[in-house]
Amino acid sequence: MSLSPAALAARRVFAAASHSSHEGGARTWKILTIVLAFPGVAVCMANAYMKMQAHSHEQPEFVPYPHLRIRTKRFPWGDGNHSLFHNTHTNALPDGYESSHH
Amino acid sequence: MAHQAHAYHMVDPSPWPLTGAIAALLMTSGLAVWFHFHSTTLMILGTILLLLTMFQWWRDVVREGTFQGHHTPPVQKGLRYGMILFITSEVFFFLGFFWAFYHSSLAPTPELGGCWPPTGITTLDPFEVPLLNTAVLLASGVTVTWAHHSIMEGERKQAIQSLALTIALGFYFTFLQAMEYYEAPFTIADGVYGSTFFVATGFHGLHVIIGSMFLAVCLLRQIHFHFTSEHHFGFEAAAWYWHFVDVVWLFLYISIYWWGS
Repeated sequence: MSLSPAALAARRVFAAASHSSHEGGARTWKILTIVLAFPGVAVCMANAYMKMQAHSHEQPEFVPYPHLRIRTKRFPWGDGNHSLFHNTHTNALPDGYESSHH
Repeated sequence: MAHQAHAYHMVDPSPWPLTGAIAALLMTSGLAVWFHFHSTTLMILGTILLLLTMFQWWRDVVREGTFQGHHTPPVQKGLRYGMILFITSEVFFFLGFFWAFYHSSLAPTPELGGCWPPTGITTLDPFEVPLLNTAVLLASGVTVTWAHHSIMEGERKQAIQSLALTIALGFYFTFLQAMEYYEAPFTIADGVYGSTFFVATGFHGLHVIIGSMFLAVCLLRQIHFHFTSEHHFGFEAAAWYWHFVDVVWLFLYISIYWWGS
């Protein structure tokens, strides 16, 4: 099975890391940071951004399910009816959405 | 002048265990007072006392080890055991929340619609920000390993760079997760789905913040020449804790975000 040049380089680097005791270890992980870690994060950033743009901005329809939006005890802040990270657009209250669809 | 005839550390009397215990008492009773009597004074007092205790106790440990030479090899071995046992206890702490999640999600009750995710819950797409969060934490695992090797090889500048990068990635994760919390279409009050999601990921996020603070202290100590290439246990403990935080996230991602969606 033929490997890509990048995979071949990575295999060489890992072999060196396993053989060297303390020499070159920092260099190996620095290379891994630049070659693997940062591009990985960059690709995931681009992917997440593009997927977010492709979303529709519809508010999900409000159905007053009894198993959701539990209010057995009031929250100890504000009017006791809003969660800590309450978002008027995406989080409905037990009676329904506060804001109408933007 | 008397010298000890052993390699162990007989610690000087300290007030911090007492202030720590008082802080724990004030925080817990303060929480109850807040819930029932709507006053946050006791809880805030307890929190301030806790922060002061942590700062002064750990400052004393640094003084004893780095400046007074009390951290001989057997003492360091004890510190290693201690950190390993602490992280093990944290593993069990998270195990409980995973138990709760699987208990509720493997056999969803009729009240939820007999399905998981429960009826009416719009889950987060695991391949959007959660995947990015996974990449960020994995990357920080690579950078913290780079930092460790740099310290061992006496590469001062690289150690500072890689440690700073690790902390930056930790902050980026926290920022992304805070955004997710605000944008999520469900809240903690949305039945057992909301409870398990926010308690498990919430405690994880708290541990990310704690781990980032631990690494930040290590960065400051590295800048001030506290670590040698042979002796840097404070950093190793922080790195162990950071890897633990990373592993917990991987389990959270696979279980709650991916399987649970």
